[in-house]
Amino acid sequence: MGQAEPFHKLELELRRGVVVLATLSQLRGPRYGYELRQALAEKGMPIEEGTLYPLLRRLETQGFLRSEWRLEDGPPRRYYALNADGRKLLQNLTDAWQGMNDAMDRLLKEDPQ
Amino acid sequence: MNANDVLESYITDVAVRLPHKQRDDVAFELRELLTEELQARAAADGRDADAAMATELLRAFGRPEAVAARYRPALTIIDPADGSRFLRATVIGLAVIWSTGLLTRLWQPIQSGQGVLQALGQWWVHTVVASLWWPGMLVVGFGLDAWTRRRWPLTSKWEPRAGDRIQGGRAAMALSIVGILCGVFVLLEPSRVLDVFFGGRAAPAAYEALTYTDEFRQRPATWLLLGLLLLNVPMQFAVILSGRWSAGMRRMEVGLSLATCAVMTWTVLGGPILRTDASDQTARFLMVLIIVFVLLHFGIRLFRSVRPAPSLHGTHG
Repeated sequence: MGQAEPFHKLELELRRGVVVLATLSQLRGPRYGYELRQALAEKGMPIEEGTLYPLLRRLETQGFLRSEWRLEDGPPRRYYALNADGRKLLQNLTDAWQGMNDAMDRLLKEDPQ
Repeated sequence: MNANDVLESYITDVAVRLPHKQRDDVAFELRELLTEELQARAAADGRDADAAMATELLRAFGRPEAVAARYRPALTIIDPADGSRFLRATVIGLAVIWSTGLLTRLWQPIQSGQGVLQALGQWWVHTVVASLWWPGMLVVGFGLDAWTRRRWPLTSKWEPRAGDRIQGGRAAMALSIVGILCGVFVLLEPSRVLDVFFGGRAAPAAYEALTYTDEFRQRPATWLLLGLLLLNVPMQFAVILSGRWSAGMRRMEVGLSLATCAVMTWTVLGGPILRTDASDQTARFLMVLIIVFVLLHFGIRLFRSVRPAPSLHGTHG
C-alpha cells in the first residue's frame, strides 16, 4: 500500500468535518441543490452530489434549514435557506472553525525540534 | 433504455428505501437535480445525454441503498467501539458450540465410516445451523447495550475497579465454599442425590446408574481428585479472610485448577466411572465439559491480562 490511499482516507475525514459548515455558509440566501453545488465548487469546495443533496434534507429535518418549492419560472426547484436556528449554528460552527484554524496555523508553523 | 429511463429506475430504487412521508417529495427533487446534473455533463461533453452517460453519473452518485441511508440520520445498531468485542464473542461462542456439539456426536458409539458421515451430518444440521441463535442473541444484546448507553449516558460512565477484588464479594465466595462441600458430599456417593430427592424410594436401576465401579473407587486418581477439590476450601477461606485475591493466591488458584483438570483427564481416560454405560458416558462427558470450561476460562484470563512493558520493536521510517 502506497502513501496515496492513507492520504485520501485522511483527506476525506478532514473534508467530512467541514462539509456542513461549508454548506451552511452558502445558504444565507435561498439556493437549490445544483446551484449550491456549483457555488461551493466555484469557491474551491466541491462536494459530491450524492453527499450534498441528502445533507440538505437532513439539515432541514434537524431544524436548521427552511425550504420551499418554486414551481414558476422554469423547472420546479426546491430552495433551501438558513432559518434562525441555522444562523445560530452557522455562527457557532464558524467560531469553532476559526479557533481550530488559528490553533492549526500555530501548530503547523512551529519550528521542527 | 434511454437516459430518462435510467434516471427513473435509479430514483425509484432510492425513493423506495425512504420513509413513506418523504418518498414522493425527495423523488421529485432528485429527478430535477439529476436531470440538471446530466444536462450539465452532456453540455460539457458536447453531445446528447444517453443511457451510458446517465449510468456513469448515477454510479458516481452512489448505490441507491447508500444514498437513501444518507437522507436519514445514521442508524447504529452495534457501536463501532464494540465491533471487535462483538466479533470476538461471535467467533469464540460459535467455536465453543460447534466443538462441544462435535464432541457430543463423536462421543456416541460409531460403528462404521457411514456412521461418521451420519454423525457429521447431524452435527451440521443440529449444531452448526442451529447455532445461529448465538450471533442473533449477541446482536440483540449489543444493540440494547448501545441503545442504553445513548439513552442514559450517565449509567455507562467508567468506574475504577480493583484488580484483586473478589468477584461477587465475600458472600459469593462463601456460597462457592458451600457448593464445593455439597459437591464433594455427592461425589463421595452419587446415589445420595436420590435419597435427597426421592427419600430413598427411587428405582433400583437409578441407584445402580449412580453407583461407582469398584475399579474406580480403588484408583489413586479418584482420591487425588477429591483431595484437590477439598484444597479449594482453605484457599477460598483465606481469600475471604483477607478480602482480596493476592498474587500468590491467584497463582495457587491457577495451579490447583490446572492440576484438577489434569487429574480429571486422567480419570476420564482411566476407564468406567459408573456402573451403567449411559450414566458413565454422561458423567465422563460432563467432566470433559468442565475441563474445557476451566481451560477456556484461564485461557481468556491469560488473553485479557495486561503487563505494561515497552515494546522492543520500534518503527523506522
